Amino acid sequence: MYSDLLNSLPVVLTFTNFAVVVIGVLAGIIVGAMPGLSATMAISVLVPFTFGLEPLVALGLMAGIYNGAMYGGAIPAVLLRIPGTPAAVATTFDGYPMAQSGQGGYALQVAVVSSSIGGIMSAFALMLLAPPLSKVTLLFGPAEVFWVAVFGLCSIIFLLGGNPVKGLISACFGVFVSVIGSDPIFGVDRFTFGQLELLDGISIVILLVGLYALPPVIDLLETPLKTETDASKLGTEPIWKTLPRMKSYIKTWIRGGIIGVWIGILPGAGGSMAAFMSYNEARRTSKNPENWGKGEPEGVAASEVANNADTAAALIPALTLGIPGTAVAAVMLGGLLVHGLQPGPMLFRENPDVVFGFMWQFLFGAILLVFLGGSLATNSFARLLNLPRPLLGSVIIVLMLIGVYSINERMFDVYLMLGFGAIGYLMDKMKFPLPPVVLGLILGGFAEENLRLALRIGRNDPSVLFQNTTSLVLVFLTLAVIVGPFLKRRFFDNKKKG
Amino acid sequence: MFKFIKKSLLTVGIVMAASTAMAEYPEKPITVVVGYSAGGGTDVMARTTMPFIEKYLGKGARIVVKNMPGASGQIGITKVANSEPDGYTLGTFNLPGMMARTLDRSVEYDRNSFSFLANVVNDPNVIVTQKGSGIKSMDDLIKAAKSTPRAITVGMSSLGGDDHFLLIKLQKATETEFTVVPFRGSAPARTAVMGGHVAVGIFNVSEVAKFQGELNVLGIAQAKRSSFAPDVPTFKEQGYDLINGSMRGVVAPKGLPADVQAKLEKAFRAASQDKEFLSSMAATANPVEVVTGEEFKKLTDELYSLAKETWETTPWN
Repeated sequence: MYSDLLNSLPVVLTFTNFAVVVIGVLAGIIVGAMPGLSATMAISVLVPFTFGLEPLVALGLMAGIYNGAMYGGAIPAVLLRIPGTPAAVATTFDGYPMAQSGQGGYALQVAVVSSSIGGIMSAFALMLLAPPLSKVTLLFGPAEVFWVAVFGLCSIIFLLGGNPVKGLISACFGVFVSVIGSDPIFGVDRFTFGQLELLDGISIVILLVGLYALPPVIDLLETPLKTETDASKLGTEPIWKTLPRMKSYIKTWIRGGIIGVWIGILPGAGGSMAAFMSYNEARRTSKNPENWGKGEPEGVAASEVANNADTAAALIPALTLGIPGTAVAAVMLGGLLVHGLQPGPMLFRENPDVVFGFMWQFLFGAILLVFLGGSLATNSFARLLNLPRPLLGSVIIVLMLIGVYSINERMFDVYLMLGFGAIGYLMDKMKFPLPPVVLGLILGGFAEENLRLALRIGRNDPSVLFQNTTSLVLVFLTLAVIVGPFLKRRFFDNKKKG
Repeated sequence: MFKFIKKSLLTVGIVMAASTAMAEYPEKPITVVVGYSAGGGTDVMARTTMPFIEKYLGKGARIVVKNMPGASGQIGITKVANSEPDGYTLGTFNLPGMMARTLDRSVEYDRNSFSFLANVVNDPNVIVTQKGSGIKSMDDLIKAAKSTPRAITVGMSSLGGDDHFLLIKLQKATETEFTVVPFRGSAPARTAVMGGHVAVGIFNVSEVAKFQGELNVLGIAQAKRSSFAPDVPTFKEQGYDLINGSMRGVVAPKGLPADVQAKLEKAFRAASQDKEFLSSMAATANPVEVVTGEEFKKLTDELYSLAKETWETTPWN
């Protein structure tokens, strides 16, 4: 089972396939460091440009960017208390106070080492879990896949925190978008208004670029943020001197890593939730919880290890079942499909070089993070924050337009993207969460198609949906996700009263 | 003055058009429109075949493959149907899909919109079951289907495709009824057969050639056995008169000049004898069966009639 893993190593170590990981990590750190520009955005803006490349070149670039961006988000989180990516919110809690007390350099080093460790754990999880899981995916027929999709939709609505009602509305919008195009069984046109371009439905990449890239770019142009940072105040020491001090975080790393991997595997939830959970768990078990929030390096470690641990793990359901659990995984899956690589158990047999090579690239990306993002470059990356924002915004808009146009060489797609951008901008201003839209589009389509297939198989008898253990387990998990938060709230309220 | 310019431009235009017709074809790059995205079966066929057409057209002919994916090939083929019939825009053509679309949707082309050049690939259908399943032969299958009508689920890549037509032919020939489960594409359908979620699957031989360890291939729908699965008996051998498959070829817009048509047909015929071409098609699991010109048109007409008859008696949507 694992021999293919070793056999694919030489392929990854060829110059191009390795160089793209390096480039990806650097680009990812830069993008992540820009407040507002997330990993999802970087990958979705970039993906159209990779369609013409060899599969491993394209995937290596994406793996590098994903790893880099998850750390890059920590840079403004620490220096400016602005999370560079949504997943870095928990990093601001202790990172910023550290920077205030002249420990900014150390905070960034903790962040980069933790990110790297999280990424390595995640890559190992992918390498070890995906091949055996790909064998049991034969158990997942239409009924089971339907429940996985429902579970994912419920978890993103109820677990994303904040406001479940707004989450639900966002998800419903996404599910509605998934309905556009010809229906999955009969090919009947729905909401296409005679447009041939809409018959195949809305491409996830177009939606992603519109929703995730346009609003932050407008934001870049709107707010002339003062981001003068002075690298000399960071108090950076060489990383080899600070590494021994990080020994005490090992427990936090392991715990945060496991949380991140687990959250990554579950469809729906993503990096920011992993970071929060890891942070809370680490604080709960800490000997000196009173220091947390005032500049406790362990808090930075907890947050950063978890948000990177979710990266490769999110690809486990994507590669084995073809169900991407996060927006980034969906884009990467799109990248695979473009190259004619169908996810599922056959992927591991038919294209072992690509699928295992991709896993290695994730691992190398994570390891490279320490070197590229470590003491060597952290100071220079901090200077990135001084780049003129209007210039940056304009460059990104141009890239978006070219990228979206080049997917199918159609202006129609560009207009569609701009339309979604306008919707995304409004949603952003009204504080509607965006991830449920994307997951609604992906999982809504899966849910509909597989529900209808299952019912056809059962000849319209709904009991087919509850026929075996896998389905029942998934139903139970879904109920737990829906009821869980309410029970928890009650339980805690009672405890407070008592 | 304006009129004069218009007139002279028109004259220049006519002269240029005339000289194009007189010059040796091809004198500029030829575009082949593929209605599917890069990497798909039709795209692979086009990209594997075109270098050989360049070779046999000679005179430094250049062919550019252009992907115009969308609406199951409809966007690309509509573009071809509406192009200038000058031999510089060709397009890939899938059967029976392209004909079925003229029935189940309103489209801007029909079977008379094209000059038929050559069909290149003929990928015959196969019927498969899971290795552990009790259905090991066609007789088992028909017996099971007769005992409880509609109880047997059949996974396939879509409705109104070649897989579906094979099943319709089978149902008619054996007076049986099955329940069709149309997945989105053959890969998920195949996984569902392997996982036992559907009882039977209908695919093309190229799609199951590598999976003969996990699947029982009950039969193949062509006149002779396939080199991709030499142990699999034809349906004919087993007493079922079933011939059906997925075909991929190349067409041009209607009204192609006769000399251009002849040149292109000749190039396709020459390519079909090329050993290198045959081996690269075999490597991409594409069973080659080159049929050119009139014969290709006849094939299309036949498939159209079958699709039409089927659509009228048992519409698939």
